[in-house]
Amino acid sequence: MKEAVRQIAGEAWAFRARVEREAANRFRRLSAAIPAFDPDSPVCGLLWRAASDEDRHAELCAELAASYGCAAAADPADVPIAPRTFGARDAILYEIVAACCITETESVATLATLLGERAEPRVRAVLREIARDEVVHGRMGWAHLSREAAARDVSFLSACIPTMLSGTVDEGLFSAEQTGPDELLRHGVLPPARKREIFVRTLEEVVLPGLERLGISAAPARAWIATRRA
Amino acid sequence: MLFKKLFRLLVLGGAIIGAGTRCAGVGQSQKPDSQSGDSSPDGGMATAQDGGTSSSGGGGVIGW
Repeated sequence: MKEAVRQIAGEAWAFRARVEREAANRFRRLSAAIPAFDPDSPVCGLLWRAASDEDRHAELCAELAASYGCAAAADPADVPIAPRTFGARDAILYEIVAACCITETESVATLATLLGERAEPRVRAVLREIARDEVVHGRMGWAHLSREAAARDVSFLSACIPTMLSGTVDEGLFSAEQTGPDELLRHGVLPPARKREIFVRTLEEVVLPGLERLGISAAPARAWIATRRA
Repeated sequence: MLFKKLFRLLVLGGAIIGAGTRCAGVGQSQKPDSQSGDSSPDGGMATAQDGGTSSSGGGGVIGW
């Protein structure tokens, strides 16, 4: 294996370990907050179980990172991401849409793409285990949003989606200069051009139609995509 | 094909899970709670320290 590939793969898996730890902390906090306004929600239990899944994923990612010679970072802080002006219920909805409807949905698409490639056996085993759980994590976001959309007007989120998207990916992803070897796929990492394609298509064909179905205009999000494609 | 499958699996599958029990909020105000005059503007939820991703205008969740 080339040293550059080893380094990129190690850093990617170390980064994923951090992302999974952050998700575990976030899901525990959100699980505890939902019963205040929706005590019958099945999403609370799903979030609680998802937090345990994410802890396990973090360990798997950290082990892979170590195998490439890269150490995962320490446990990250849990930082709520909703605008400060939002009330509690809107803040929870904002965070679940950002974390689950967008980020977890994108993760499922990434994992499905990676599983369609010829990954190393140990990488493939980790991808498969994580993918199985991430489907549930994506669904719980759509479940919460659909419950809220049935109960009240959630159209205010439309204007927030571009901000969520900007926080979901590195702006450099849309830079034409970014390249990466196809060999990365064997190590569970999408080369930048492929990552960009999967990210945008998942938005256009899954996330945005899903939001529109639940009464959230995707026009600002589509403008966000168009600006970055220009 | 992948994306159509993901839409069914995640968006439609999630809606089915969400419909599993009635939402306690059904029949409540149709306004988002940020506009309904709650006693606490942040509800104790979004007041945390600005630790990198958080900002007054909101943020996103970075993923894989």
